[in-house]
Amino acid sequence: MPVKTLSPERLKRFHDMVDDYPNKRSMLMMTLRLVEEEFGCINDEAMEIAADLCGVTPAHVQGMVTFYTHFKRSAHGKHRFMVCATLMCALDGNTDQALKQIESKLGLKPGQRTQDGLFSCEKVECLADCDKPPVVQKDFEHFCSMKGKALDDYIESLLKLENKTSAEYQNSSGVEMDLRISVLPSHYNFEGETESGARQFDDKDPYFKPGEAPRTTSVPPPLLTPLTAPVADGVNMNGAQHG
Amino acid sequence: MADATPFSPVILKHIHEPGSHTIEHYQARGGYETARNLVGTAEPASLVKIVEDSGLRGRGGAGFPTGKKWSFLAKGTGKPAYLAVNGDESEPGTFKDRYILEKDPHQLLEGVILTCWAIQSNHAFIYLRGEFILGYERLEAAVREAKAKGFIGKNIFGKNFDLKVVVMRGAGAYICGEETGMLSSIEGGRGYPKIKPPFPAVSGVFKCPTIVNNVETIAAVSHILKHGAAWHKQWGTEKSPGFKIFCLSGAVKNPGVYEVPLGITMREMIEVYGGGLIEGRTLKAVIPGGLSAPLLTPEMVDKCTLDYESLASLGSMLGSGGITVLHDGVDLMSAVYNTMRFYHHESCGQCTPCREGTGWLEKLAHKFHGGHAHSGDVDLVGEVAKNMRGRTICVLADAAAMPMQSYLQHFRGEFEKRTHEPAHVERLRTPRDEITPTAKRESVQHGAPNVVDVGMGMDRV
Ligand SMILES: Cc1cc2nc3c(=O)[nH]c(=O)nc-3n(C[C@H](O)[C@H](O)[C@H](O)COP(=O)(O)O)c2cc1C
Ligand code: SF4
Repeated sequence: MPVKTLSPERLKRFHDMVDDYPNKRSMLMMTLRLVEEEFGCINDEAMEIAADLCGVTPAHVQGMVTFYTHFKRSAHGKHRFMVCATLMCALDGNTDQALKQIESKLGLKPGQRTQDGLFSCEKVECLADCDKPPVVQKDFEHFCSMKGKALDDYIESLLKLENKTSAEYQNSSGVEMDLRISVLPSHYNFEGETESGARQFDDKDPYFKPGEAPRTTSVPPPLLTPLTAPVADGVNMNGAQHG
Repeated sequence: MADATPFSPVILKHIHEPGSHTIEHYQARGGYETARNLVGTAEPASLVKIVEDSGLRGRGGAGFPTGKKWSFLAKGTGKPAYLAVNGDESEPGTFKDRYILEKDPHQLLEGVILTCWAIQSNHAFIYLRGEFILGYERLEAAVREAKAKGFIGKNIFGKNFDLKVVVMRGAGAYICGEETGMLSSIEGGRGYPKIKPPFPAVSGVFKCPTIVNNVETIAAVSHILKHGAAWHKQWGTEKSPGFKIFCLSGAVKNPGVYEVPLGITMREMIEVYGGGLIEGRTLKAVIPGGLSAPLLTPEMVDKCTLDYESLASLGSMLGSGGITVLHDGVDLMSAVYNTMRFYHHESCGQCTPCREGTGWLEKLAHKFHGGHAHSGDVDLVGEVAKNMRGRTICVLADAAAMPMQSYLQHFRGEFEKRTHEPAHVERLRTPRDEITPTAKRESVQHGAPNVVDVGMGMDRV
């Protein structure tokens, strides 16, 4: 069982959504946004909570989080800069200039995070405001024509907010962000899970005609009797003798 | 078709007025009256007929006739029908849906209500890309306002018709703009496109019949059902009637969104609406319909009018209406490289020709960009692009191969300029005493005046 769940206020927002969706799994995208908001990023714990709320496995949630690049992850900085690097923004050196300004203020190259974890910078693909390049997003704030004084002033205001000066960052280089997920949470209850990642079907599932009994996953009998005692030396799982 | 009334913007008419996103503003200009009159009273099939007669074509990219798509919706399946509105807008160079969502979300909602009545669906999803922040807030607020007024929810407009409208957010995946990819994402999975057929109209989201339409298409529906099919047909051409929002970006003086009748000339769009090219530059090429559209050379631009047929006859497409103007200073090899990096990054990875092909094209473009491609690589690019087309689940692979093929077709010289023979190959081909150590090699001069390098490097996160 997950250790924690959402705060009551966000849990209420989750339950308010339930009626809008035909099944729990389809609430996953929006639930991930809720946990992202709650934790400030999507970490292991957030993924487990989302999995539990939407009735899918944590592995499925991990698959989602690594597929969708906009979710904020624990490797990202507290202030996450996303600079559009697609053709329309890159024309006439706009993206380059924004990236250079970020580098000169924060010592960050794209793909890096400051050592204190406060700032990170990355190149992203088109942000759909191509008439006003360069387009930059900082977490959930959207800026267009973000270069020159506008960008410098904005970074300065963030630095002030964090009680930092850009001089502190200029001599230290950023660290590369590692966005891989390698560890599966160990303390999770996998009961009743199916291959598609769905853990349970409820009768709201429209795959099934109204009135039809909800499908239950029948768990096949275990091939081996579960081990209760520690395995004796030299005996492998199949009971065959070594040697 | 002759212009009956001079055209003035329809969908974007009110975007510059303060408060245009509120329900008060929308109702003050007659908003929701069409829905009030038609929902619950008009015969749904007659509405589908009006949209079919109006000749409205999908504004999301493919240009499929909207009324026809609606008429394909499977009936009598016993399953609920869904409407999924595509607000993913991730095609580079396109930013029209943003204006509708941020400045006038209620006309989209009225379109959704009317569409749902026409296709008899009680449940609509509006899928926005995660990067739309203001647009999401405004649309959510609009849905709340409309719910409070009884335009969405149970027994809307006091009629015996229920409607749920759910706004969902994506999270930065271009492939969720592809209709089946978007449906996979709505179902709570990775945005993997699905094999068609079955088309979504037969088996879409949750395996139920689903209509997928772009935001602009649905917004246009609310106007067509208000004014009628003939009104819509007075603009545009025979086969592409009506008006469309074009997004102008790149090297023009006045980039922005312009709603114009279909069939105006590309020159008019660039010179009159865009104010011409920026000072001191000349035209090199135009990307006419979002990054996936094959490029037009200046000669083709002169012949081009902005309708589906004209662009198709020039070997390109109208696509989503994102027009990007490239000036003579743009280093084309860096543009190719930037484009291919985009597709490689955004390929979902299900199909080998796409997953590997986009990677190959990116790497080859990288070689051309850096000036270390071999002469054989020019043909290899063409070969790889050719082999990617028509072999995949969705058309992202084609969307990557098409611009590459057009660059190669129109600017082969630029590719060849960047190749050089490795010394040992050159030596094999030339008689011994003629060997000179000059390898044909021209790489971009970084920082050279007048050359704009848009490569942006291979590293990404
Ligand atoms: C790779 C790819 C990306 C697409 N991106 C979008 C998009 O961002 N927005 C959109 O409306 N349609 C997009 N489409 C087109 C949709 O698949 C679909 O045709 C469209 O939403 C249908 O709506 P319409 O008939 O109103 O145009 C994309 C298609 C492909 C193949
Ligand atoms: S063509 Fe590319 S993006 Fe489309 S399904 Fe196949 S791998 Fe995914």
